[in-house]
Amino acid sequence: MTDIAYWNYDEWLPSDTTVGSEVILCIVENMQKIGWPEKEMYGVHVSLEEAIINAIKHGNQRDPEKKVHVVVKSTAENFYLKVTDQGAGFDPLAVPDCTAPENLELGSGRGLLMMRHYMDEVIYNHAGNQLELKKQLQKNKT
Amino acid sequence: MSDFKCIDLQNKNDVTVVKLRDDKVTDAERIATLGEELMTLSQPDGGRVVINMGNVRFLSSSAINKLIVLERRLSSGGGNLKLSNLRPEVEEVFNITQLHSVFDIRADENDAVGAFDS
Repeated sequence: MTDIAYWNYDEWLPSDTTVGSEVILCIVENMQKIGWPEKEMYGVHVSLEEAIINAIKHGNQRDPEKKVHVVVKSTAENFYLKVTDQGAGFDPLAVPDCTAPENLELGSGRGLLMMRHYMDEVIYNHAGNQLELKKQLQKNKT
Repeated sequence: MSDFKCIDLQNKNDVTVVKLRDDKVTDAERIATLGEELMTLSQPDGGRVVINMGNVRFLSSSAINKLIVLERRLSSGGGNLKLSNLRPEVEEVFNITQLHSVFDIRADENDAVGAFDS
């Protein structure tokens, strides 16, 4: 028998970045408890910040009438995050390439780039108000 | 004494050396405050600023944007911003985002301060 450690989370959050930051720290702490090494958690933490805080700030525009749905399913080897906001959505393909020399000093696109770097999969729904992130821990890298 | 909440300042050879107090620069309100405090460092004639990032274990793209705004403000006035003491994981973020070509990143604070006169 294999003892499989896991941690799941499923909550609707208010459009409040302070609450969002608290939830992110909670997710990070619990993933470390089930065995995710600190080295790998940097990228997970960055991605959580960009996904959840952006949903609150840019998706819901901090509208107190709107909420952000956060789902986490994590095991010692796999991380899955789904963040859904109640905003108008956006087109990720329209985000400028922030690594292009002419865009380096722009304020947008960097979060998306970092999520794509640290995660195995970054998937937006058609409306652009739901984001799914997936990452599998590579044992030989720990 | 300053009233800054997010940064500590020191003067070394006419260079303003800034240390960020937070090890995790993530909270949206703190980042907004950090941005306001950093903006006070830019002078009409630019300014020479080093930000010692040694305390920083984590920073989000919003926090990076504040550094970019400061760099742009200083440069437009003929000044200069250098970053120092980046932890490897933080430096990786600058590499991923190609921002190592925007910022002058030095290994340590003394190197960064000395580079203004070299």
